Amino acid sequence: MKDPHDIILRPWITEKTMDMKKDKKYAFVVDKFSNKTEIKNAVESIFGVKVEKVNTINMRGKRKRMGVHTGKRPDWKKAIVTLRKDSKEIEFFEAL
Amino acid sequence: MKISLEKIENNTAVLKFEVDEEQFEQAMEQAYRKDAKKFAIPGFRRGKAPRKLIEMHYGPEVFYESAAEIILPQAYQKGVQQYHLEPVDQPAYDIEQIEKGKPLIATAKVVVSPEVKLKEYRGLEVEKVVYNVTEEDVEKELKALQEKNARLIAVEDRPSQKGDVAVIDFEGRIDGEPFEGGKAENYHIEIGSGALIDGFEDQIEGMNPGETREINITFPGDYKVESLAGKQATFSVTLKELKKKELSPLDDEFAKDVSEFDTLEELKIDIKNKLEQRAKTIEEGSLKSAIVDKLMENAEVDIPHVMIDREIDRLIMDFVYNLKMRGLDLKTYLESTKMTPQEFREKFHDRAHVNVKSSLVLQEVAKREDIKVSDEEADEEIQKYAEMSKKTADEYKKSLKPEDISRIKDIILTRKIFDFLISNAKITEKKLEDAQKENDNPIEGENM
Repeated sequence: MKDPHDIILRPWITEKTMDMKKDKKYAFVVDKFSNKTEIKNAVESIFGVKVEKVNTINMRGKRKRMGVHTGKRPDWKKAIVTLRKDSKEIEFFEAL
Repeated sequence: MKISLEKIENNTAVLKFEVDEEQFEQAMEQAYRKDAKKFAIPGFRRGKAPRKLIEMHYGPEVFYESAAEIILPQAYQKGVQQYHLEPVDQPAYDIEQIEKGKPLIATAKVVVSPEVKLKEYRGLEVEKVVYNVTEEDVEKELKALQEKNARLIAVEDRPSQKGDVAVIDFEGRIDGEPFEGGKAENYHIEIGSGALIDGFEDQIEGMNPGETREINITFPGDYKVESLAGKQATFSVTLKELKKKELSPLDDEFAKDVSEFDTLEELKIDIKNKLEQRAKTIEEGSLKSAIVDKLMENAEVDIPHVMIDREIDRLIMDFVYNLKMRGLDLKTYLESTKMTPQEFREKFHDRAHVNVKSSLVLQEVAKREDIKVSDEEADEEIQKYAEMSKKTADEYKKSLKPEDISRIKDIILTRKIFDFLISNAKITEKKLEDAQKENDNPIEGENM
């Protein structure tokens, strides 16, 4: 089994996700090959909260050019985790 | 917030502030709201990032400076009120401790108005210059008026004499060579007026109209054109026309011509009034300046440099303004007088010193005697000004800025101080025979 910290890579902090906090939704960059169940378990074990549901989005890496050479940033996966109403908040986000 | 006065010496006060954590935190919050736009954080539009995120990205110090800028002037104002300081300059802040969650400790150093050691200000012994306007003065003034309005009448039948106005062409040569400025045509000169170099006017006396004469002149050694000073020159002068001044007789007709009065008697009275007015102004001015001089002798003040520098700045501004009125600017002035800006500044130093000292001394008198100007008095004065400019008092008052009102108050205050000083001074009267010869005495310290 994968380590939860290898699934949840880092928080996705933007103006929009800051606003989502009040709906008990938190956004993370997660391992590309993880599924919703794995993400749910990882979040619950790292932050000690109860997860209602997980939505995931596959993000395409941007195409980048250096002169004639074209390149591509890696694809990644974003997860929006909704907590259950009776769950506590994720402390890590509260500090922001 | 704790404020304490550390010390005052050399006219410098040091205030120490201890701003407690909550107030400092509030100031930080204000600083964040003010500065948020300056910080760019990925994922956020400018100004939308939360304060904590900004602090995480840029370090907790980012808001210290702005917070201090917000809170220190407030603290300083409080301190000034609390300890009744009279600052004359902007304070210099020095921050000793600034850290999140801890009190902010800082000091402010400011130059304060110096203590005036004033010995005597009642019973000042001053001389008052008194001048009574006499009939002679009026006659003299009338004569001048007559001269000014004299008609010129052409003379054909006699040679020129003193008092005539001659219209001449002349060309001067030094060693047979013409020189610059030595030639003129149709030049009007009143013989005997002394407008030209010594000897010139004497030598054209007795010429008949149309006559040409060669005259020899030696330029004086201190002549203003250096290349000509001390040189021998020969002028050929042609008298083209000769005119004599004809004075109109002093009668009612004359009075009508030169003034709005109908009779000579009225004109005389008017002249007398004007002269008396002038004499009075001169009297008052000299009395005031005598009092100020006396006061300054009796006072000891250690004037801070800033005050003098400020005054110098003000004087220079006035000076530049005057230059501008004459269509000059400071740069050309400095070039033409061959002064460096430093020398130019230095020139104002003494006057600035006197101005500052006299105004400090006068203020000290006001303080000791508790001379103050109430709002009502200011209103009365405003009423007077309003009448002068033919407006209603309210209208006029509205057009005034707060600075204008405080300036009006200052003028009244100065007047009241002088009233007090004059009524308490021992004045000995000194007669002066010719008030006109006395130039307008500038009254120092009038502009407080």
